[in-house]
Amino acid sequence: MNKTAKTTPPVKAAASAPLKIALVEDQPKVREDWSQLINSLPDLACICTCKTGEEAIRVIPEVQPDVVLMDIFLPRMSGIECVSRLKALMPQLRIIILTAMNDEELVFMALEAGADGYLLKRTKPADLRAALLDVLNGGAPMTSEIARRVVESFRLKARTRDESLHLSVREEQILLLLSKGYANKIIADRLEISVDTVCHHLKHVFEKLHVSSRTEAVVRYMASKATLSQ
Amino acid sequence: MCGVMQTRPNICPWQVMSRRVRGIASLLGLASMLVMSGLGPSSVRGAVTNAANPLPMLANTTASLTNGAAVDDPAEAAKDSLGERGSYNFSDMGPWIWDTNTFDRQTVRFWKSFVIPSGTNVLRSRLRITADNEYILYLDGRELGRDAEWRHLYEYDITALLGPGPHVLAVEAYNSSREAGFVLGMRVGLASGQVITISSDTSWLIVPNDLSGWEKRVEPDDSWRPATFMAKFGEGPWGVNQEYIDLVPPLEPVIIPFWQTSWFEILLLVIFGGVCLVSFSLATQVLLHQKEQALLQRERARIARDIHDDLGTRVTQLVLQGEVAQTGLPAGSKTHGQLERISEEARETLQAMDEILWAINPRRDNLHEFATFVCGHAKTFLRSTAIQCLLDVEPAMSAVAFDLPFRRSLLLAVKEAINNAAKHSGATELLLQIRRQGHGITVAVQDNGRGFDPAQPRAERNGLDNMIQRLNEVGGSCRITSQPGRGCRVEFHIPVIQMRRRPWWAHWPFGRQLNPPPQRPPATSQN
Repeated sequence: MNKTAKTTPPVKAAASAPLKIALVEDQPKVREDWSQLINSLPDLACICTCKTGEEAIRVIPEVQPDVVLMDIFLPRMSGIECVSRLKALMPQLRIIILTAMNDEELVFMALEAGADGYLLKRTKPADLRAALLDVLNGGAPMTSEIARRVVESFRLKARTRDESLHLSVREEQILLLLSKGYANKIIADRLEISVDTVCHHLKHVFEKLHVSSRTEAVVRYMASKATLSQ
Repeated sequence: MCGVMQTRPNICPWQVMSRRVRGIASLLGLASMLVMSGLGPSSVRGAVTNAANPLPMLANTTASLTNGAAVDDPAEAAKDSLGERGSYNFSDMGPWIWDTNTFDRQTVRFWKSFVIPSGTNVLRSRLRITADNEYILYLDGRELGRDAEWRHLYEYDITALLGPGPHVLAVEAYNSSREAGFVLGMRVGLASGQVITISSDTSWLIVPNDLSGWEKRVEPDDSWRPATFMAKFGEGPWGVNQEYIDLVPPLEPVIIPFWQTSWFEILLLVIFGGVCLVSFSLATQVLLHQKEQALLQRERARIARDIHDDLGTRVTQLVLQGEVAQTGLPAGSKTHGQLERISEEARETLQAMDEILWAINPRRDNLHEFATFVCGHAKTFLRSTAIQCLLDVEPAMSAVAFDLPFRRSLLLAVKEAINNAAKHSGATELLLQIRRQGHGITVAVQDNGRGFDPAQPRAERNGLDNMIQRLNEVGGSCRITSQPGRGCRVEFHIPVIQMRRRPWWAHWPFGRQLNPPPQRPPATSQN
């Protein structure tokens, strides 16, 4: 656990420097609006915008942002594939997927590909800021549905992958409670641990999930895209 | 000498048996016709005729004649009555005849027509035949018998077969080697006392071997040559009298049972064809219906995609633009407030669209998606309240199909129940339970609120009552258990859920196919 804590990037002090945010979005108008909106929020700065996934892979390692906001539908390279490649290049980078409509399936694929969170594009600016800070602090977006899927996903892999990628007992406990609808605070109370520890466990779960299913998620996304275009 | 000969009863056991066989064969024929569409009536008839015509020679009685009997004795000839079978009076026998040329392995067909005068009945009719070496005898196209021993005479009783009118005798004879000949004598005794004699002579015509259906011909062809005289009966190479007369049992007209008649067969064919047509049209309808369903599904998917990709994106942009516009304005100003309301309205629109999307997307037609959506709704809905939402969802429900009318009714009912709990129960916890029961699904909404007496009418139940009614319409049911102070449990049940439409092999070997995510359409122009 301590090892994981060490790998977490230091939390930016909100007062010292603004959060550096990169945006990947193919539609010019939307891109403009988003960067304007982000810049209008305190402590956030949009330092870079990319039109395509290919551009993002080229530019983002150079500018070293704190968080990347990634549109899921991009021409040619999809957002999901881009997430997977960026994560391979910069494991510390935090990436949040943006979607227009609520689609759990898609979101889960993005999470598997390595995204640290997802946001609906309609999210209120105040919530957007909170979510960004949350992700940076290691908080993972865990709805009960996502938690259930994570458990399922790990169970499917249980027999084929190596031991280090299995869920620990405590992690599974937390996920199951999450899938039953309990909030982090209540889970912490129940398991007699701190909320931070719960978050910490969840972060670890996500790391495992990313490592074990990143390529798979991309392959699956490509396959589903192929079936759709038939 | 006649004592050794028996007058055969008209119906002997083998005939009875043969009739039964005939009947069974016909029924079998019928059945096979109904079962096998490939078999036409002709093949059925073929099977029946074979059974109906057991070879006469099987039942022949061989009567031995005393040697030295005076054949030409007029007294004997006078005594010979047609009714006496096996008589050795051979006065009616014609000479041996054959084709002009004789060679080995030769088939010669003989043809002769005659007329039984009308206005009288045939009392007796006897036909004797033999050939060196083989013969097949036809009368009016029907095979009467065949045999292959020139030392025997074969005697047929064809009384029942001869009615007034024209008749045709046809004989196919075969010579295996050396001498060849065919001899025939027939006497027909009429009620008028008249006796008609037909015998083998040069008036018989030779029919070419390549002619098919010749034995059924009623008119001769001009090209047919007359037969050639070979020797008188009892002379030539066949000089010795025939030692045996084989009595063929009396022949009877073939009575075609109604199910063998052509009209019946045609009727059967028509019925069969009708059945085929009806099944075919039904199958077509089913296919069309399936196709229609598939089209509907595709259309639903398309609409869902359009809403998702186009409308969703646009309204999202609206929200975004509203938010951006607000950034330039001081908080609390009138325009700021208006813009905020616009954004808020657009957000709610998107949320409503989420639900519509969920409803119309055929990808969501399964229990898993239903559970996901209901849970998501409950969580979102209860977030703004003090109620803690707990979920208890049975895992592994994804393979079960859950079609739109059911899931929509159930969703509305569950929503209403959650709404009631949030508004009236004063609970701190709400448990949403989703369970499969056999082929059915049960969704329970349970709160730990103040509860109520179910017997007491309550105003807020109206909405729920509507939902229960809606649920009843799709075959579901609802049970409410509550006691004052002890919370409330509302249980919805839909009994029969169609199992997944795709059969198991459709998934093999790829396992469950993942739902493809929708794709954005080609980038919309921004100008």
